[in-house]
Amino acid sequence: MGRSFNTIAFDPAKCDGCGDCMSACARVKFDSDDTSRSLIQILARENANTKGISPGAGSSFELALCRQCGDPKCVTVCPAGALTKNNETGVIDWDGSRCVDCLLCTIGCTYAGISLDEATGRVSKCDTCDGNPACVPACPHDALKYITTSNIYNEVGDWEDLFAPGLAGCQGCNTELLMRHTLRRVGPDTVLATPPGCVPGMGSVGFNGTTGTKVPVFHPLLTNTAAMLAGVKRQYKRVGREITALAIAGDGGASDVGFQSLSGAAERGEQMLFMVVDNEGYMNTGMQRSSCTPYGAWTSTTPVGKAEEGQKAVAQGKTQDAKNMPLIMVNHRCDYVATASTAYMEDLYEKLDKAIAASRTGFAYLHVYSPCTTGWRFPTDQNMEVARKAVETNFVMLWEYTPEQGLHFTKPVDQPLPVTEYLKAMGRFRHLSPEQIAHIQGKVEENRRMVEKLAEQVHGG
Amino acid sequence: MEQTQYLIVGSSHAALEAITAIRMHDTDGSITLVTRDPHLPYSPTVLPYVVSGRSAPENVYLRDAAFFDENKVSYRPGVALKALHTARNVAELADGSEIGYAKVVLATGAAPAIPPIPGIDKVDYHVLRTLEDAKRLNAAMKKSQRAVVLGAGLVGMHAAENLVKAGANVTIVEMSAQLTSGYFDATAARLIEEAFTANGAKIRTSSQVTWLAADGDDIVLTLGDGTTLNADLLLVATGVRPELDYLKDSGVACDKGILVDDRMRTSVANVWAAGDCAQARGFFDDAQVMNAILPDAAVQGRIAGMAMAGDPGVADYVGGVPLNTYHFFGRHAISVGSSKVPDGGVERTRFDEASGRHLKLIMKDGRLLGIYGVNEFFDAGVMAQLIVRRTDLSAVQDRLFEQPLTVGRELMSQIWR
Amino acid sequence: MSTATLEKTAPAKPKQKVILCEGNEAAALGVALARPDMVAVYPITPQSSLVEHVAKLIADGRMDADIVDAEGEHSVLSVLQGGALAGARTYTATCGPGLAFMFEPYFRTSGMRLPIVMTIVTRDGITPQSVWGGHQDAMTVREVGWVQMYCETVQEVLDTTVMAFRIAEHHDVMLPVNICLDGNYLSYGASRTELPDQADVDEFMGHKDVNWHVALDPLRPMAVDPLTGGSGGKGPSTFVRYRKGQCKGMQNALRVITEVHEEWAQKFGRSFSPLLEEYRLDDADYAIMTLGSMTGAAKDAIDEARDAGKRVGLIKLKTFSPFPVEALLKSLGKIQALGVVDRSVGFRWNCGPMFQETMGALYRLGRHVPAMSFIGGLAGADLTTAHFHRVIDATEQLLSNPAPIEPVWLNEND
Repeated sequence: MGRSFNTIAFDPAKCDGCGDCMSACARVKFDSDDTSRSLIQILARENANTKGISPGAGSSFELALCRQCGDPKCVTVCPAGALTKNNETGVIDWDGSRCVDCLLCTIGCTYAGISLDEATGRVSKCDTCDGNPACVPACPHDALKYITTSNIYNEVGDWEDLFAPGLAGCQGCNTELLMRHTLRRVGPDTVLATPPGCVPGMGSVGFNGTTGTKVPVFHPLLTNTAAMLAGVKRQYKRVGREITALAIAGDGGASDVGFQSLSGAAERGEQMLFMVVDNEGYMNTGMQRSSCTPYGAWTSTTPVGKAEEGQKAVAQGKTQDAKNMPLIMVNHRCDYVATASTAYMEDLYEKLDKAIAASRTGFAYLHVYSPCTTGWRFPTDQNMEVARKAVETNFVMLWEYTPEQGLHFTKPVDQPLPVTEYLKAMGRFRHLSPEQIAHIQGKVEENRRMVEKLAEQVHGG
Repeated sequence: MEQTQYLIVGSSHAALEAITAIRMHDTDGSITLVTRDPHLPYSPTVLPYVVSGRSAPENVYLRDAAFFDENKVSYRPGVALKALHTARNVAELADGSEIGYAKVVLATGAAPAIPPIPGIDKVDYHVLRTLEDAKRLNAAMKKSQRAVVLGAGLVGMHAAENLVKAGANVTIVEMSAQLTSGYFDATAARLIEEAFTANGAKIRTSSQVTWLAADGDDIVLTLGDGTTLNADLLLVATGVRPELDYLKDSGVACDKGILVDDRMRTSVANVWAAGDCAQARGFFDDAQVMNAILPDAAVQGRIAGMAMAGDPGVADYVGGVPLNTYHFFGRHAISVGSSKVPDGGVERTRFDEASGRHLKLIMKDGRLLGIYGVNEFFDAGVMAQLIVRRTDLSAVQDRLFEQPLTVGRELMSQIWR
Repeated sequence: MSTATLEKTAPAKPKQKVILCEGNEAAALGVALARPDMVAVYPITPQSSLVEHVAKLIADGRMDADIVDAEGEHSVLSVLQGGALAGARTYTATCGPGLAFMFEPYFRTSGMRLPIVMTIVTRDGITPQSVWGGHQDAMTVREVGWVQMYCETVQEVLDTTVMAFRIAEHHDVMLPVNICLDGNYLSYGASRTELPDQADVDEFMGHKDVNWHVALDPLRPMAVDPLTGGSGGKGPSTFVRYRKGQCKGMQNALRVITEVHEEWAQKFGRSFSPLLEEYRLDDADYAIMTLGSMTGAAKDAIDEARDAGKRVGLIKLKTFSPFPVEALLKSLGKIQALGVVDRSVGFRWNCGPMFQETMGALYRLGRHVPAMSFIGGLAGADLTTAHFHRVIDATEQLLSNPAPIEPVWLNEND
């Protein structure tokens, strides 16, 4: 049930109160310079130290705008049937010919999203300019965004979730989210390989004769995922049947012991989509380090040493930098290589679509950064925030590569936050010394330069 | 005998919200809706606009027939509930048929309260509660020269304005000393009165009709002071009250309305009530009150539906808060919350004669209890939230009084946006 | 079942092309005749020429199979597992270190009941480094559920390679099969070989159906290899069911191998002893036991010993896994002493692995038959008639003297 809709999002941290959005709205909607008529209202916030109001939370500007509620109270209290939720656009449509100007809707709305336009004596509200809101491009600070990810929910929601309900992942598991989305997208004509790790560990292959998916699924060795899957795909190709060969593998199985078969399959151009769920370690077996574990991170095999008095601890987390798997795969000249993050689902879906298409003709590699609440030590509700901070600091860069188009950033972050904004979000970096943080910041910048160079080179040449 | 999981009696806001709420939690349980009204659902609140001709009668429906199909509701208009046999969970309908139910919600609304004036049964008067009433009044209005409106509540005032604009000589007779009492404060009422008077209406407050008689096509009203008024149109708009004869012998406890708890449950376990027929807890003093207003009907219907369906998301009713909006002669009046100033409370008012802007705030201990305005627009929904959340506004109350619109939005965006 | 019986009933041979080829080429030709869907290859001495032949057959269009040039033996077998789960008839070959590297998926193959056929061009185990023949590689993996058959001649290599697919894919078996052919001696040894007609082989092979029991197929989705075990629920019993099924398949293989060999003999006029061959055993007082290509020289030595009046016979094992205990007991029942020649080492018991296994079978005989272990032909060493005369003479001593505990290392002083 239910659909999702596009929406105008406001980032108060970026708003400086210039009012350009209101000018644009008043002009487009009323051909007026009177910003009080604007359907989007930016409010200067004065220090109201009222109990329950968080003091000085960053910005001093707030917003009043119709939220196009899913369960709109303005509609339920309209006696004239003048307000309706449009199930195609999600907008609350106002029918002026039915409206009796009773203002009851302004009682129903608790968000000041519909109000009296004193110039006309009638109510007015945002209609998102039919899906092309004038306020959004008018914002010079990127504080307003028209979020169009609703199509993911709407489309994907209609697709069958091909994993069984109740997989035994940790609470707040990002990988489960990723798996379900991916398989929904790929669809039932799929053979799925889930090598040892969290993915089968939470039950995707089932236990004792049960199954965790509605597609054929198997548990390859940690070492041979790409090879087994190649065999499956080749036989279907031989008999003329189109299937998607999909691997959902952990970073350990891909970058360490499984790397040979992965590299071999990529070199041979085996037709498959190999998705790496990079939670930067062997999380299923108790959070040991992998070659994708970043420098400085605590894992159960790269512990934070505690010295006896007068002694010096030898190690404080991992002492090597992470292997850059996606760049290694670029150097296999795969048909498609991309990095992705669940904090940017639209980007992820676009890449998933391209990767699926590429897997019809060659090797597609999708490297998805997947924060692990258990192994990285952050609260279970912070998954998306951690994933987002990784990108906003350039700790993780989102890009894609094809042999024809080369490498380019899909979500370039030109003014990254300091890496500490990411590191401080989780416990595995809590022990870091200033020197270690400086090392990580340096590596982030070095990686950025390297990927930038690659992007320039392919475009230049 | 037909059996249904959920029986909904009534078809206006509370009933429709109950259906929506049930279907959010229970997609399959059978729902049957019976309603006395023969039409598709509509709101009594829209009827004054049908009277005025602003709303075409065929254009006021809140839902179309497809709504009932989509929600898998067996929809049976035009048949009233005759008796509720709670001992055997059966509803007996006016056409003699019976429906067995597992759960029932009574959302039968209210009917005009007709004052026991001697002779009233001998004259042809109007009321305004149904679409038929509205059409009839609309037709009569066009021919009326001398109209009397009995009762100065919002229904009566709306109709009076329509009659004035239609060219009739209109007299409003109101028992209490103030127009729109219970809806608006004295200042607002004065502004309303002035507007009516300026447009030619006669206002007789503190007046009672003692006798009614027919005189040809006219109706003669005799008032308490002996005055007589001749009218070719009489509208009785002296309030509403639920008609609950169908609950006789049902065991469902009633006072002025059907008594319900904070989940809209009546004294009988599988019987709920919501909307104008229900008597629920008030927000301000916890007494069981009649709060026959549209927003409350919707809230109560939603709670009843969720409770019936066993939706674990159901929350207790916060209590009835008076909420009213009213348009008169191009001006608007809004009232939110209590009009009473309790002990220790503060009333702050400002009024600008030139613009006709009037605002009144009632506060206690830094909390908002009520806000009233004429031609002073503020977001009523935001103010209602400040009241029910009992938000401490000590630090901003001066600014709130000066700029209720702006400051209300600021608070909204910081507290619950 | 004796060779003589089969020969009597064998019909006239169908017309077959006669060629001169080595064992590796014969294996490749046998594979081509069996029409696999998928072949995965990775070169290793002395197997390399085998996969080169396969690659050339495919490149020449004489064999319609998908060839996967994998990056190592581990992936070679893994690719084939995927292919088999998708319904492919699959083949590969390896040996020695390649087999060792392959061990992880190798172990799994029989558990998944995948009828993959793989030639082991046997090679001795490192270290010390050696690229020469010996049975150490195949013997080392004898206990993980693959059927293993050792060939004596180039012709037997070709014929057994075709039969291996029938045996592996038999619904009562559904197990992977190794055809073991001696590195150097068979792999590079050229002989006159009859090449069956493709149409006849097609008829022999019948309908292919390799993933009826376990499949990765969106049309009949299932979870392949779900997690099992643990102390609760159906965990242990599920695992036991798997293991018991493998053992049952192995025992069924003894019957199926015999039936398939009989059918082959009927159709192509060439019969090979399916489980073991008795040579001049019926009236023998004692016997020697051999495996693989060494048997030719051993038979010559037996003939010479017979000529010299010794009542000696020979038992050659073809099917080593499953170990043909019943058939062997029948043969052992005819003799009073036994010498077993192994081309590999059993480190734990200080003897050859075949000797060790045979001792296990002897316990069931209920009669003491003195036996001794000979280890020879390691790392490509030649086993000549002279070596086998030493074996015959030493074994003859067992008729009157106690059996020595130490093995005899035949090439120790070559």
